[in-house]
Amino acid sequence: MFGVFRRLWGEKKSGDVARERMRFVLMHDRLDLTPEVLEKIKNDILAVLSRYMDIDQNTLQVDFKQGKDYAALMSNVHVKRVYRKEDGTEASEEA
Amino acid sequence: MAGRTIVITSGKGGVGKTTTVANIGTALAKKGHSVVLLDADIGLRNLDVVMGLENRIVYNLVDIVEGKCRKEQAMIRDRKLPSLHIVPSAQTREKDAVQPDQMKALCAELAEEFDYVLIDCPAGIERGFKNAVAGAEAAIVVTTPEVSAIRDADRVIGLLEANLLRDIHLIVNRMNLRMVKQGDMMSTNDIVSLLAVPLIGVVPESGEVVISTNRGIPLVHQKGSEAGRAFSNIAARLDGEGVPLEDDHKKSFMERVKDFLWS
Repeated sequence: MFGVFRRLWGEKKSGDVARERMRFVLMHDRLDLTPEVLEKIKNDILAVLSRYMDIDQNTLQVDFKQGKDYAALMSNVHVKRVYRKEDGTEASEEA
Repeated sequence: MAGRTIVITSGKGGVGKTTTVANIGTALAKKGHSVVLLDADIGLRNLDVVMGLENRIVYNLVDIVEGKCRKEQAMIRDRKLPSLHIVPSAQTREKDAVQPDQMKALCAELAEEFDYVLIDCPAGIERGFKNAVAGAEAAIVVTTPEVSAIRDADRVIGLLEANLLRDIHLIVNRMNLRMVKQGDMMSTNDIVSLLAVPLIGVVPESGEVVISTNRGIPLVHQKGSEAGRAFSNIAARLDGEGVPLEDDHKKSFMERVKDFLWS
């Protein structure tokens, strides 16, 4: 009875919630990435991208996704503008 | 020919390691194998009470290792099955009373005499775990359908593989099919795909387990017990019999009729 209401309200079943949480937790456990390392990765990505484009640093997200037999690192960031030079070489940092 | 040494481990405590050792060991002995169960949980002795052999203990695992007795003196024969023995752990000693090398030597000696050596591993991943794993050539990881048990099982599987122990199987204990059906428990398939280790059996949650440990008689002796049958099936699979794995989905009467008509 409650199950029907829960589903009407769009609430996920707890078994599904548990599975999704475990998928994430185990992936992190296996990768053994500490929050500090993750923060460093973020900063490095920002530094590299900033050399080529103007990006909104606050929008950077780094996530892991679990494939069937691999883990994928997904990074999203908003790009404001890509630097360009007439001769096509890499632009120097503007800041 | 040397027998098989198998460690039963879980990481988390209270998921049913000792119950599993007692029942699989008893089932293997019932099939006619010679079996010894080794309680490697030094300081927290339990296998003897689960087997109902607590008042026969004279010597223990640490006594053997320290040379205070011969291993035959420490082994206790089961009340019902003459081919089943246990080596009790020491209750008043520390984990470091035994070295991994000593366990390795003892397991190798026991494997010369018995078809199966089952090692009851303590909870945790420290010294006691390393001792218990040292002498094993295969492992059975026990988990329950709960997030904490699964996370610990995953950690233990990683440690086993790092120890070059690659023959690993999984038991899902205390499965509640009603809750799985309601969507409030991870299914066996969910757990197996999370842990990525081959399954060797699923044991349903059952009050019978408590009753059987109260009496000190393993559940596999009890006819008509579903959990007992699950343990017997695991023993049979371990022994190379092709018993099909239990399914989460219990077929309804109409589905069975349909299966029958289509087969």
